[in-house]
Amino acid sequence: MDIGRRDLIKITAGAAVAMAAGSAATANRFFTPEEFAAVNELTEMIIPADEKSPGAKAAMVAGFIDSYLADSFEEVERTDFREGLRPYVNATNLERLGLLTKAAQSEAKPTTADQKFFRLIKEYTIRGYYTSKIGIHQDLDYKGNTYQTGEYAGYLPGPDLK
Amino acid sequence: MPQSHEPNLNPDLKKTYDAIVVGSGAAGGMAAHVLTSHGLDVLLLEAGKKLPIERELKSMQWPYDHPRRGDMPRDDHALTLNEYTIRPRPYAQGLRYKHVYSYVQGWSGADYSKNIVVDEKDNPYTGEPYAWVRARTLGGKTAIWGRLALRLSDVDFKAAERDGFGEVWPISYKDIEPYYDRVDDYLGISGLKEGLPYLPDSRFQRPNKLTISEMMFRDKLKPMGRLITPYRAGVTTDGLKHNKYRSKCFGRGACSRRAGGCDIHAAFDSPTGLIYPAMDTGHLTLRTNATVSEVTVDSKTGKASGVSFIDSETGKTYQAKAKTVVLGASTLESARLLLLSKSRQYPNGLANSSGHVGHNFCEHIMGPGVTGIAKDRIGKPKTLDDGRPGGFYLPRFRNLDSKQAGFIRGYGFEGGAGSSMFPHHAYQTPGFGKDFKQTVREKQGAFMSMGAFGEVLPRYENYVDIDPDIKDRWGVPALRFHIKFGDNELNMAKDMADQAREMFEQAGIEVLNVDREVLTPGWSIHELGTSRMGTDPKKSVLNEFQQSHDVKNLFIVDGSSHVSASCQNPTWTIMALAWRSCDHLADQLKKGEL
Repeated sequence: MDIGRRDLIKITAGAAVAMAAGSAATANRFFTPEEFAAVNELTEMIIPADEKSPGAKAAMVAGFIDSYLADSFEEVERTDFREGLRPYVNATNLERLGLLTKAAQSEAKPTTADQKFFRLIKEYTIRGYYTSKIGIHQDLDYKGNTYQTGEYAGYLPGPDLK
Repeated sequence: MPQSHEPNLNPDLKKTYDAIVVGSGAAGGMAAHVLTSHGLDVLLLEAGKKLPIERELKSMQWPYDHPRRGDMPRDDHALTLNEYTIRPRPYAQGLRYKHVYSYVQGWSGADYSKNIVVDEKDNPYTGEPYAWVRARTLGGKTAIWGRLALRLSDVDFKAAERDGFGEVWPISYKDIEPYYDRVDDYLGISGLKEGLPYLPDSRFQRPNKLTISEMMFRDKLKPMGRLITPYRAGVTTDGLKHNKYRSKCFGRGACSRRAGGCDIHAAFDSPTGLIYPAMDTGHLTLRTNATVSEVTVDSKTGKASGVSFIDSETGKTYQAKAKTVVLGASTLESARLLLLSKSRQYPNGLANSSGHVGHNFCEHIMGPGVTGIAKDRIGKPKTLDDGRPGGFYLPRFRNLDSKQAGFIRGYGFEGGAGSSMFPHHAYQTPGFGKDFKQTVREKQGAFMSMGAFGEVLPRYENYVDIDPDIKDRWGVPALRFHIKFGDNELNMAKDMADQAREMFEQAGIEVLNVDREVLTPGWSIHELGTSRMGTDPKKSVLNEFQQSHDVKNLFIVDGSSHVSASCQNPTWTIMALAWRSCDHLADQLKKGEL
């Protein structure tokens, strides 16, 4: 437990440093500083901090999306995202939340551009958050990817289950 | 003193080897093992390189420790399902990427497998849409295989007698059973005895355990007369005293979250399981970077005299001579090689007097499956659920005792339940914000999924031949595909999806999604049947010992020889048959009959 808490402090402290750096114009490879700030807020709205774990901001999901788009080979992936993001860039957080809520209405079958953008940023956020240290260890308490010694996890059917 | 296991790039090509083995995967590796164990002098040729595989796989790396979280570099590209379906062949033609790779499972083209699977730009093919995953490296596809190790039974070998379609195998279960046993003992297999006549038990090491929700599912399936059993994995769970290159499994659970592969070699792979021990006998010469382009023939005797191969780095061509030639290049590459080996004596290609080489292609159809949530597991404390080489296998239940309407043969499911590193259900969890995050977290340990693998019938009309125009990077003519699923497969796929839903519903599992889409042919990576065995040389290419009817000293020991696909994964059967055939080869060679 103590170790976990120490890790938590280290991670959040590291995130704060990274965020400070991220707000400098030179740190992003694709987003403008204004776009980055909007993406940072949107990802946190999608996966916010709660009593269990920090959210997308601390997990630096916006940075993940920035480098993902910078590295994606198809120009259309970048232009689609940038276009979809446009209404959110110069908005207040309250306006962003309103836009996001509206765009999330028919997420199973997105048809309009803003509905499609919601799916897009939600999928990027899921991918970035749940492959991060915070997502895997703090939020989901993932126990695997470790050498097990002694008794293995799980159960075997007894004769009654045969 | 153990020898070095480095390849010999300058082997003695003046001498005549007892056998040349082409390909170093499950089939070629097994041939090398068995033939050297008989004291034969063997030259093993592999088209790819020997990779530093442990470094390549990075089995224990966390996603956040990789600069692109496991994705390939910017100029590289993995073909997706969609591209396999819609792109004109050859797939890589016109794509701007520096390298274009065959799809392999993993997160959208994993960085960990790009040196294992082939670059499509170097290895084009044409014809109907087909997802042809090839691994040109020492060990072939065993470097990343899915590890499910199942036996076939007489329900499969004699399927044609039961339903009238196709041909029966020239062997029955009792012929192959002792060889399945040997493969089990030599390589290690994990599983639970169930006593099913249509899915015979192996000589199992300790089984992988089931998770709580899998146990519940097993119990709920019982009234339907169906069963899930712990994944029968070609993995040594207790260790192998006779093999110092392989560790026992430590349940790290990294096996299926990327391309596969096991850097401690608890999962079988051909190099550590078969080839290194064969090299230690002193009878095996390993030449990598050797792309075989032709099986050469002695024009006086009509027998195979050896092979021509091209060094994949320098492009130089070499000849190697042997008393026997054993092909284990994979179902499709072996067919390509036979069709390319034309001579005055064999104008239709080698071993092809029947005209059946390249035909009767069969495999497994896949795609349909189901995901769901085991409701009583929601919100429970997290446990370690994926620390094992696989989840469960749900064996075939169709066309066993009763006849199913709409299709013959059957299918099985592979699946698993519980927490995994990545919460796949998050994509299907609606909304955003605190509720969304909490739902993903609470349902993480309750997630369950399974997908089906079904038998594709071997039809003469499903075949491959040589493209008249397109050549690969080394100037070898490319393979052309004429392969399509028929009504039997498509009707079966509908039933897979319906039954997947029904079984989850019966078990009280909340269904998240039912996948009904059939994947492009080839996707299962279980290609079989292009040089089938049989007793009639007019209707088959090989006899029961995978020996060519036409050319007595030519053997084809990979999946080419399978008469039908069954619905069980083929690797263990490929190795059992190869062992049996190579015993026969050694015996015949010693008697001077080859």
